[in-house]
Amino acid sequence: MRLNRLLSVFILMLGFCCHIAQSNAQTVDDATLRPLVQALAGDNFENTTKAISDLVKTGDPRVSKILDALSAGDLYVAKADKTVFLGKRDGSDYAATDPLTGTKLDPVPRSSAEKIKVNNRLRRDIAAAIGGLTLMSDNIAERRSAAEAILKTRDPESIPLLDQAIAAEKDAGVKVLMQQAKAAAVLNSDAADDVKIAAITEVSAGNSRDALGLLTPLENVQGPVGEAAKAAIDSINTKLAFWNAIQNVVYGLSLGSVLLLAAIGLAITFGVMGVINMAHGEMVMIGAYTTFVVQQIIRTSAPGLFDYSLLIALPAAFLVSGGIGVVIERGIIRFLYGRPLETLLATWGISLVLQQAIRSWFGASNVQVGNPSWMAGSFDLGLITLTWSRLWIIVFALSVFAILQLVLKKTMLGLRMRAVTQNRRMASSMGIRTPWVDALTFGLGSGIAGIAGVALSQIDNVSPNLGQGYIIDSFMVVVFGGVGNLWGTLVGAMSLGIANKFLEPFAGAVLGKIVVLVLIILFIQKRPRGLFALKGRAIEA
Amino acid sequence: MKAQDTLLYLDGVSVSFDGFRAINNLSLVLQAGEMRAIIGPNGAGKTTMMDIITGKTKPDAGDVYFNGEVDLTRHDEAEIALLGIGRKFQKPTVFESHTVEDNLVLALSGPRSAFSALFHKQSANEAERIEDILYTIRLNGKRDWLAANLSHGQKQWLEIGMLLAQDPKLLLVDEPVAGMTDAETAETAKLLREIAKTRSVLVVEHDMHFVRELDVKVTCLHEGSVLAEGSLDFVSNDQRVIEVYLGR
Amino acid sequence: MITQWFFTHVDRRGGIAIALLVAIAFLVPLSNLLLPETSPLHIPTYLVSLIGKYLTYALLAVALDLVWGFCGILSLGHGAFFALGGYAMGMYLMRQIGPRGVYADPVLPDFMVFLNWKELPWFWHGFDNFWFAALMVVLVPGALAFGFGWLAFRSRVTGVYLSIITQALTYALLLAFFRNDMGFGGNNGLTDFKDILGFNIQAGTTRSMLFAATALFLALAVFVSSFIIRSKLGKVLVGVRDAESRMRFLGYRVDRYKLFVWTISAMMAGIAGALYVPQVGIINPSEFEPANSIEAVIWVAVGGRGTIIGPIIGAVLVNFGKTYFTAAFPEIWLFALGALFIIVTLFLPKGILGLYGSWRTKLADRAARKKDSAPPPVAAENVHLPEPQAAE
Repeated sequence: MRLNRLLSVFILMLGFCCHIAQSNAQTVDDATLRPLVQALAGDNFENTTKAISDLVKTGDPRVSKILDALSAGDLYVAKADKTVFLGKRDGSDYAATDPLTGTKLDPVPRSSAEKIKVNNRLRRDIAAAIGGLTLMSDNIAERRSAAEAILKTRDPESIPLLDQAIAAEKDAGVKVLMQQAKAAAVLNSDAADDVKIAAITEVSAGNSRDALGLLTPLENVQGPVGEAAKAAIDSINTKLAFWNAIQNVVYGLSLGSVLLLAAIGLAITFGVMGVINMAHGEMVMIGAYTTFVVQQIIRTSAPGLFDYSLLIALPAAFLVSGGIGVVIERGIIRFLYGRPLETLLATWGISLVLQQAIRSWFGASNVQVGNPSWMAGSFDLGLITLTWSRLWIIVFALSVFAILQLVLKKTMLGLRMRAVTQNRRMASSMGIRTPWVDALTFGLGSGIAGIAGVALSQIDNVSPNLGQGYIIDSFMVVVFGGVGNLWGTLVGAMSLGIANKFLEPFAGAVLGKIVVLVLIILFIQKRPRGLFALKGRAIEA
Repeated sequence: MKAQDTLLYLDGVSVSFDGFRAINNLSLVLQAGEMRAIIGPNGAGKTTMMDIITGKTKPDAGDVYFNGEVDLTRHDEAEIALLGIGRKFQKPTVFESHTVEDNLVLALSGPRSAFSALFHKQSANEAERIEDILYTIRLNGKRDWLAANLSHGQKQWLEIGMLLAQDPKLLLVDEPVAGMTDAETAETAKLLREIAKTRSVLVVEHDMHFVRELDVKVTCLHEGSVLAEGSLDFVSNDQRVIEVYLGR
Repeated sequence: MITQWFFTHVDRRGGIAIALLVAIAFLVPLSNLLLPETSPLHIPTYLVSLIGKYLTYALLAVALDLVWGFCGILSLGHGAFFALGGYAMGMYLMRQIGPRGVYADPVLPDFMVFLNWKELPWFWHGFDNFWFAALMVVLVPGALAFGFGWLAFRSRVTGVYLSIITQALTYALLLAFFRNDMGFGGNNGLTDFKDILGFNIQAGTTRSMLFAATALFLALAVFVSSFIIRSKLGKVLVGVRDAESRMRFLGYRVDRYKLFVWTISAMMAGIAGALYVPQVGIINPSEFEPANSIEAVIWVAVGGRGTIIGPIIGAVLVNFGKTYFTAAFPEIWLFALGALFIIVTLFLPKGILGLYGSWRTKLADRAARKKDSAPPPVAAENVHLPEPQAAE
């Protein structure tokens, strides 16, 4: 066993020497390589081991692939001419390819070929050999994964290899990784205390979750090593707790952005106009269905544009939901101004009608809305991993908020809207056509709900009930933030989102939500006008 | 001046809404049995002052005492009403879906708890008082009318009747003659003078003819504090008052 | 003597409604139990239960109208009180199953055995006793309403704000009751009841008795509502509805009046839920759905809020329509319900009874004008709903 280990290390060392020696002449011509590959099909394991070491010595990049295949049992030898080939079962034949050139060979009947046998010991050797090969590979990704592999196995035998690789390494990131791997291996060896303590420092600088795994077994060791490990674990735990909090904040912000998107249209219709629109959720839902329709059209007529489907859906959803909003305002709500409770009931009726209309049209089940490629995938931030969709939704919600602020503060419509909501009679006597401002304001709020629907279609199931799930949350956000104040809505949405995410680990998602609801109910009792309340006589009217 | 021996005592009262100072270091004293007219341009803080006295708005600073000893800032509307301060709103506020009589029944002084209201039975004494008030406010022929069907002036009178039914020590009356005919205005002035014989009254009014008819001490408010105080002639000759009213 | 006392507290319509309800409380069971099935006057058991269900809805509507129609508090969460009453009754019915459950555990209901619970949670104790459960039917909704109302009314949460937080309340309860850990059967709720007070819950006799109980409780609710509305307290409530701050400046502690009627109303809703559960045979978290509570509001609006019997008419009519439509044209039902919300708020703000009332006033007006007299004092039974006006 021990001997074997040593042998394999020796092979690797050899490989390295060659490798370094001919680092500029990586490839070896096929004629040299061919007999070595043939030698893999030796009579016994002893010969195979030697053939492996010979192959490694060449340092050819193709070697690692061949060894992989050998280890996986995909390397065969034809009984007749003893040719070695890569085989894949295909009926009664093997589909054969040349291991060096990768060219397709004639299929070999299964009866006339034999698998090159490997045992576990050989497999270990191969793994180590590949690890070594890749540790010095030209490909940075391969070197990285080799170092990561050692970080996992913590094999003390690989320390000398790592030393060499570290010396040769140019890339700073990979070098750090290799140093960590070495430190991990040192901790696993019987090196002296001071060496180990240095290694502990090294390890704890890296990926904290892996480091915890490395250090925990040392925690109970007597003496300075144990103490150093304990201290390192403590500091890592602090760091993890910090990043955990960051993660909660980011998740909370993304949930808050969803809430903000759903609520911001309501902040206009309810907050600014004072109209209780219970069909607001359905405006969101219609926005999501608009996205679905846009994608359907793109799929059938211009598949290449799919990555832009959301960009096309945004104005479409704004117009569809906004248009429906204007119709609702002109057709129903304007007769109910000053009667908020009746407005509430009538708009609830509208929401039922819209839901059923969508259900009759598109069916009751979910429709599939696709994610464009740029929404997929994830990235690392410190010790946490975030998905792009999470980030995009935050960016998107904040942009919608900013644009809305601009519209309200800088455009003529915004000026008129504010004029009408502050003093309707004065505004109308100044020649502002208040009915149209009402209709457009309501349309704006509804259109923004439609835009929110585009975003929500990416993270939620698109069904006729989509809006129902958001309406109560949206009202909570607006009421919590303070009616008539968009900044309040922003702060309200974000703080509710973050509160939810911080409660989740203790209480679970559902209970966390219940707790938040109850807290808001209590909060409204304390501050009936919300976080950012307007004060004074005017609001009493 | 001390709060003792006064009916209503405001000293250094200030309140602001979102940075706007509605009342600014206001001081005002009303003796028992006194009637006072408050005048002042729009936004002078007249209504806010009434809100503070009746507990609707809490002042940021200053003292508000009733009867020389009760700190009004520590009580809410209902408690202040029960202490004996009645208020008539600018816009007549009566219970439109109740009859004239029921409006008075609700206003009539007496126990206010929910339980006693559930099992309340009208006593002969109460019936008599309602009869009296109906006569005073000239609505005895319309006691079964819904308040909604009354004319604007009649609603104003009904509201004054409700104040009387409350039997307060101090009446706060906000623009009682707004929207009234000249004849009604004169009648109202007569009625208020009648009332002022037994109670203290604070009247906020724009109508200078009406104020002259009341013939009482006048306080002019401007930007939340007292600008001038005295007889109507004295106040209306004050240079600053003229400036405020006529503009600079 | 008693009749005189009765009629000082109930108006003519209320009296007729009570008489009718008492009559059907006896006649419907008699027709179901005594008449042969071939008789045209025989009411089959399924219909008895169906009408019984409508009447529990009517009871909920009467409760809701007490706060909305007469005091201006639009509750979008009365379904929560209804469901809590229902759960209290459901817990009693669960305990009555005893060892007859699928798992034959003498004490634990099936779902607890299924969840591997070893003993009864503390809040399930006592529910094997009918009278304890009956007490809980009113106490639990009453206590929740009292706590919620105490906080809300004292801090003067009114209007839409109150509506929205009542909706949030029932939504929070919906989420809570969906959880298995709550100990109320989670998603599936409580069902598979066997008997009530020892009588088989499926039997026609039991069903008829449940129906009679529902009709009598509804009659009682009409009486209690009338009593409250015709008292001075009722006048205060209407005053609060029309001009809340005026009421305060008259020296009334508005919050206490609201709290009183709110709690009474929640208790009524609890009783309605308790009568509902044995007749439909199940209670599950969907009863907490905010949509249910809003649907109850439309019953009241259709019948005529601010009247005593309008909610009963509305609840029965709308639910009859629902039963018919969902069976005959399921696609249409939500369209119809949605349209009903819109039409009633736009064109029938006073509901069916209000329409009838204003038609009568118009006739009376015309008659009065012929006689050339002053506008008549309006009949006390007429509905009058002015726009709520701010105090200033």
